[in-house]
Amino acid sequence: MTSVTLAPTAPETAAGPETHLVRRYVPAQQVIHWIGVISFFLLLLTGVALLFPPLSFLAKGGTSGVIHRIGAIAFILLPALYLLRMPRKALELVRESFTYGREELAWFKHMPGYFLGSTRNLPPQGRLNAGQKLHHAATFLMFNTVTLSGLIMWFGKGQLGPEGLSAVVIVHDISMLGLSVMMIGHVYFTFLYGALSGMVTGKVSEEYARMEHSKWYESLQAETPAAAEKTEARPAE
Amino acid sequence: MPTRYAFSIDLDRCIGCQACVISCQAGNELKDDETYIHVGEQIRGSGKTLWGSFDHHRCFHCADAPCVAACPTGTLSKWNGLTIVEKEKCSACGYCTDACPFKVPHIVDNHVSKCVACLDQVKEGQAPWCARTCPSQAIHFGERETILAEARAKVAALKARHPNAQIYGETQLGGLGLLMILLDKPEVYGLPLDPKAPETMKVWQSVVQPASSGLSVLAAGAMGLMFVFARRQHGKERAEHERAAKQKAALQTAQPKATETHHD
Repeated sequence: MTSVTLAPTAPETAAGPETHLVRRYVPAQQVIHWIGVISFFLLLLTGVALLFPPLSFLAKGGTSGVIHRIGAIAFILLPALYLLRMPRKALELVRESFTYGREELAWFKHMPGYFLGSTRNLPPQGRLNAGQKLHHAATFLMFNTVTLSGLIMWFGKGQLGPEGLSAVVIVHDISMLGLSVMMIGHVYFTFLYGALSGMVTGKVSEEYARMEHSKWYESLQAETPAAAEKTEARPAE
Repeated sequence: MPTRYAFSIDLDRCIGCQACVISCQAGNELKDDETYIHVGEQIRGSGKTLWGSFDHHRCFHCADAPCVAACPTGTLSKWNGLTIVEKEKCSACGYCTDACPFKVPHIVDNHVSKCVACLDQVKEGQAPWCARTCPSQAIHFGERETILAEARAKVAALKARHPNAQIYGETQLGGLGLLMILLDKPEVYGLPLDPKAPETMKVWQSVVQPASSGLSVLAAGAMGLMFVFARRQHGKERAEHERAAKQKAALQTAQPKATETHHD
């Protein structure tokens, strides 16, 4: 299932006749990402029903609570699944997300421009740019706080008391606020820089790779020097 | 000003017969294993020092009810001093079970289970089932001022036999909607002296909750607006990039002679 496939070098998709694609994610990573997407939105929707009074009718009867727990199980097991299926990639992702060098710091200086659609002055970035690293690191931390507070609410119901309940809900709400804002940013950048195909097909356009992750793109090129025009697939992350 | 109703329970008159429990179950059509009222007993000492009293564990109908504050669906709300329940709205989240300082609400069959103040009866001018049924007239229901005055008179009369006799619930949590006439100090009955909704609960309700939904909507809105601008900006840049790439390719295939190559 994780076998590496060659990206087509011929014209493909609507992106234009000269668009070449490079593989960025292996299918197993895509599957894990989709489980994450579905469970996250299930949790968000069923959670918002208890947060935003006009939507509270969605929570009637307790079905949303059951869905919330099913979503939670999938969400919580996600890192374990990643770690079991691809231990090296998972650990590398964590390690990379918490390693920041001079290039990352330089990238952060140009972050406002990156937010507004400009990649012009960005220092060359590897497979993950500094913003993605920070996004992953923050997600990693808030995944833990939202999971821990959620489990306490789930299994401690009736034993928390007013203080315990409010403290745990505050942590849960703030973690989810953080994760939601980051999800919004994640979607924003995906559409801004046209990277949606990475999630759907596992491949991204050569142009995207060149503009956003030039170091990674170069390393892909270096691996296949024989085919200068061709871009051979190499799993990322 | 709206009426403020209240119950009173006189533990001096209570004979522990459980009639209130049964009439409550029957009147509210509860299942056998569900009950809004628990009548227990407190026994102390032996022989000549033997002391005993029944006690009632049920909703106190707090004026500033933490369960109402915590309830995210509006299932629990205040009506004329009573904490009423609209079961069909309940999501069974269980926040009320933790928020209540008296540990009264429970989740039964996916909905909250606690005294509903027999709202239908009260709206028709009747007293709740427990008050109507009590054979020793230990449970009273009516306007809180009347009920409170009655309770004060009763406690004054009790002082001779029970020097520690007192009303529980006169001021706690904005004044409880159930005044308990105790024969001894509240701690003897396991009642908290100063039940409170903690500060963290106010932070949750009035800061964190509105901020969470507000800020995420704000972030989505801001990024949506920004997207329009940023997408245009990036489009220009991509066109530039493409042109440069084409130029480079053309140069490579045609003449390898020196011409300026454009770098980003």
